Amino acid sequence: MKPRYALAGLLLATTTAGAALAQDSEVTIVLGEELDLVEPCMSTRSNIGRVILQNISETLTELDVRGDGGVQPRLAESWEETEDGTWRFHLREGVTFSDGSSFDAEDVKHSFERTQSDQNTCEISRYYEGIDMQFEVVDDLTLDITADPAQPIMPLLMTLLTIVPSETPMEFVREPVGTGPYVLSAWNPGQDIRLELRDDYWGETPEVTAATYVFRSDEAVRAAMVETGEADIAPSISVIEADDEALDHAYPNSETTYLRLDHSVAPMDDARVREALNLAIDREAFLGTILPEGAEIATAIVPPTTIGWNPDIEPWAFDPERATELLEEAEADGVPVDTQIRLIGRTGNFPGATEVYEAIAAMLTDVGFNIDLQMVEVAEHEQYYSKPFVTDGPVIVGAQHDNSRGDPVFSMFFKYDSEGRQSGISDEKVDDLIDRATAASGDERTALWSELFAYLHDEVIADGLLFHMVGFARVAEDIDFTPTIATNSQLQLAEIGLN
Amino acid sequence: MQRMIGKRAISSLISLFGLIVLVFFLSRLTGDPSALFLPVDASEEMRQNFRELHGLNDPVLVQFGHYLGDLVRGDFGDSLRKARPALDVVLEAFVWTLQLAVITMTLVTVAAIVVGSVAAFKVGTKFDRVASLLSLIGASAPDFWIAIVAIVLFSVNLGWVPTSGTGSVWHWILPIAVLFIRPFGLILQVVRGSMLTALGSPYVKTARAKGVKNRPIIFVHTLRNAMLPVITVIGDQAAALLNGAVVVETIFGFPGVGKLMIDSILQRDFNVILAAIMVTALAIFLMNLLIDLAYALLDPRIRT
Repeated sequence: MKPRYALAGLLLATTTAGAALAQDSEVTIVLGEELDLVEPCMSTRSNIGRVILQNISETLTELDVRGDGGVQPRLAESWEETEDGTWRFHLREGVTFSDGSSFDAEDVKHSFERTQSDQNTCEISRYYEGIDMQFEVVDDLTLDITADPAQPIMPLLMTLLTIVPSETPMEFVREPVGTGPYVLSAWNPGQDIRLELRDDYWGETPEVTAATYVFRSDEAVRAAMVETGEADIAPSISVIEADDEALDHAYPNSETTYLRLDHSVAPMDDARVREALNLAIDREAFLGTILPEGAEIATAIVPPTTIGWNPDIEPWAFDPERATELLEEAEADGVPVDTQIRLIGRTGNFPGATEVYEAIAAMLTDVGFNIDLQMVEVAEHEQYYSKPFVTDGPVIVGAQHDNSRGDPVFSMFFKYDSEGRQSGISDEKVDDLIDRATAASGDERTALWSELFAYLHDEVIADGLLFHMVGFARVAEDIDFTPTIATNSQLQLAEIGLN
Repeated sequence: MQRMIGKRAISSLISLFGLIVLVFFLSRLTGDPSALFLPVDASEEMRQNFRELHGLNDPVLVQFGHYLGDLVRGDFGDSLRKARPALDVVLEAFVWTLQLAVITMTLVTVAAIVVGSVAAFKVGTKFDRVASLLSLIGASAPDFWIAIVAIVLFSVNLGWVPTSGTGSVWHWILPIAVLFIRPFGLILQVVRGSMLTALGSPYVKTARAKGVKNRPIIFVHTLRNAMLPVITVIGDQAAALLNGAVVVETIFGFPGVGKLMIDSILQRDFNVILAAIMVTALAIFLMNLLIDLAYALLDPRIRT
């Protein structure tokens, strides 16, 4: 065949394929990493969640991330707290799993027990850690959940529990069965995963009839695929690739970057030194330069859409002179401020991570810190980030934390409690506030979290909070989809419209 | 000949065993996979459960004993991350790598031998200079850059081929083209050099004096003698491709064994690392054997 004809043939083939796709309302989504598992109890992991959550497997409740409706019904129609520590959930009637079996309270009970089994390593279970939860089946469609200690946010906790049929084995499955609008129809390891619409879904029928997920680790390729029409949505591309206003959407991606300080090691044990560190960083200078303009300066480790986020906290001003003064004062009092401090950053943690940490190291050095920047890969980073901490000398760990769940409870214990695995502080008042806020509900809960954020930021000077980050998604012109703060963890096909 | 193959097989098996021992213990020195599989805020209890479930709590020597015992029965263990047999994961990826390597090396070999021989025969002409320049560029150009530029040019701007992935024959064009460039440049240089030497030998002068035409001089008389060093380089390049073409696999989303190996090292997926190493080592052993046979075929002195 002459090259000219080959080209014409190719063009014809792609055009017809394009037309066929449009007729069937199918979409192709390109993710940055292949899924290791398609297992409902692992769906709190970013890419697994994007495929499974609310597409294949549903939850009793769901968080309204597009509006401010709070926790909304999904497989549960309503719920109430019947007595202290016990919640009653009324389940939806007429729901079936993709294997034809009907959904009832036993399935919910089994789904929870499965996350607790020692025959698997379900990631969801970490959200129920330290809580003794008893599931009691009242009747097919009524379920009582009792928790000790009492969980005022039980409906929110249920946004994480993916429901599987009670026949599901404890071991990881490769063919997930759920109540969602889609069913896994093909999984070619290394190549693609395909979901197809069920015809017996209990809810409204989504517009998208099938979705193919493909995996490309290179961001430029992901962006190019949407541009050429090979993919419809690339939920995560870098700011450098996001150069097409018509296709690219910026969205708060629920990640917060910060410098974790270990208060037990000098000189970070001195509040003046921690204040100097915060005053030395010119946060404004990063926005629109190394980091995208939409990133926000952080005053808490959770994004502003989280309950209790405190609007009254003022971010640290950039004041290098004051920072130098504070260091000199501390030095005069015998604090070893000239000790070499290792600043540990994680390579590829977010786009521009190395440049951000290099700039921070330079800013800290300018005011008088003795900083040794080390960029490390994920496994080594984890050794610095989590307890037991490395003990040979002071270390600052640059890290990124994700909380799109709407409540600080999923962050505060781990990051600030004396017992928290990544906590660099040990403060009785902080521990007490975390305990009380965790047990409180309503306005009291909001107020306690607010108080904690202000105390940590202004008085304890717990860490060096940096930025609430933004992500970029590229969406094809004929697709109607706006990414949200939850797009890092889920991508509901039902929310995709076709123009 | 059979004795040579037998000797090679035994020495390769010994090296393979050494490799398994080395990789088994070295990979376990890199740390605890639970820290990477589980989220950072997972409890100690979850980590303990993960280690227990995967037998990582036993002393390393006991783990090694279990591993060898399973290996003898043909069980390479499960992938920690993918919760399925490590050998399946590796073989799936290796099939892609093998296809990519075989197609690329066939094209490279034919192209480099033809162009290199003609360039040597027409030494100093425009053809020779262009070929040398191309081979130099090919041997030194960074493949990640070529890959990205190729996507922008041929997929995004011209729309001739898909950017990446698998599925149709069109998907293979860019990865093969990018993989082609470097070995083509290298082998072309070697063919040209080796042919130049051979063309200067007395038997070529004799052939010319007898009135033999150009084509038989190149392809019948000289090429066979010039091939020994070329085969060595082809073997080297093919071995590199069998180990996986990490850059090309990463950029084009090609599910080969190179990226799998790198990912499993970064994620401490021990069984996959070991299975991948064993499969690629075996393939390279077989390839080296083929090269030895090719030597023997070309040069009767080696057979004895």
